[in-house]
Amino acid sequence: MSITINDIETEFYQPQTIIALLEQLKQPTIGIALAINQTIIPKDEWATYQVQDNDSIIIFQAIAGG
Amino acid sequence: MLTIADTTFTSHLFTGTGKYSTSQMMFDAIKASGSEFVTLALHRLDLQHKRDDILTPLTQLGVKLLPNTAGAKSVQEAIFAAHLAREALQTNWIKLEVHPDAKYLLPDPVETLKAAESLVKEGFIVLPYCSADPVLCRRLEEVGCAAVMPLAAPIGSNQGLQTKTFLQIIVEQANVPVVVDAGIGAPSHALAALELGADAVLVNTAIAKAEKPVAMATAFRLAVEAGVAIKSSKLAEQHQHAVASSPSTSFLSA
Repeated sequence: MSITINDIETEFYQPQTIIALLEQLKQPTIGIALAINQTIIPKDEWATYQVQDNDSIIIFQAIAGG
Repeated sequence: MLTIADTTFTSHLFTGTGKYSTSQMMFDAIKASGSEFVTLALHRLDLQHKRDDILTPLTQLGVKLLPNTAGAKSVQEAIFAAHLAREALQTNWIKLEVHPDAKYLLPDPVETLKAAESLVKEGFIVLPYCSADPVLCRRLEEVGCAAVMPLAAPIGSNQGLQTKTFLQIIVEQANVPVVVDAGIGAPSHALAALELGADAVLVNTAIAKAEKPVAMATAFRLAVEAGVAIKSSKLAEQHQHAVASSPSTSFLSA
């Protein structure tokens, strides 16, 4: 399964939930939000939402700012 | 004490987290400032280079987080950013900022007002960063913003209250808290803002880019406390002529 994360194409060998994907990326879930194919997926769906082949995921993070 | 929407703040000094040389410096300065309300931005995650975790120390400090929509150039982008912020930080509070102009970062009034109306309807608690335009501030209040945040001068310019005359009008007419945000460069500017009647100030660059941010944060804390103390009393009257402070006495004449 090929997906794009923040414009970088990555291969995964099996379908993943968002939570599983983030675990594979070693990315904590605090302070982050994400959109799949330009639709924001609510955090409470991350444990069940299945990422599909060719999905384009953008992950955003809360950072320092004014 | 200052109440915005359902939250009461003891400190009238709000602070930004940007531009600090290190995360530790940012944390130390915010702690010294006594600020209870702190802004954050959103950015695409860099999977290759992990940033410092600033959320854990800020949460431990007990400050309330206010994500902003910096980077948004239109209503659609601002609304998208607000939704992302809500998911990322699990808060419906949002500092709405829409500034497509890269040189002066002046907020677009039309996009800001449209986005504010939309976000308020969706249940966000909207704090709009806006120009010091009394008519715009009234419109923002009418669409349901919880406060208005007019600028003193361009973001990061440290020029002080360039919009003073208009801030005075906004303060006079507003029925929601007025937070002077952007351009405050010195503790004296923050004091002046409160003295003219603003309810709070939001300061980032003046502290983060000071020679010694922690010392400057303390200075701002004291200036804002002075500004709050002034609110309980009208100032003594101003006169053109002198009014003697000591009783007159004759020394040489009978």
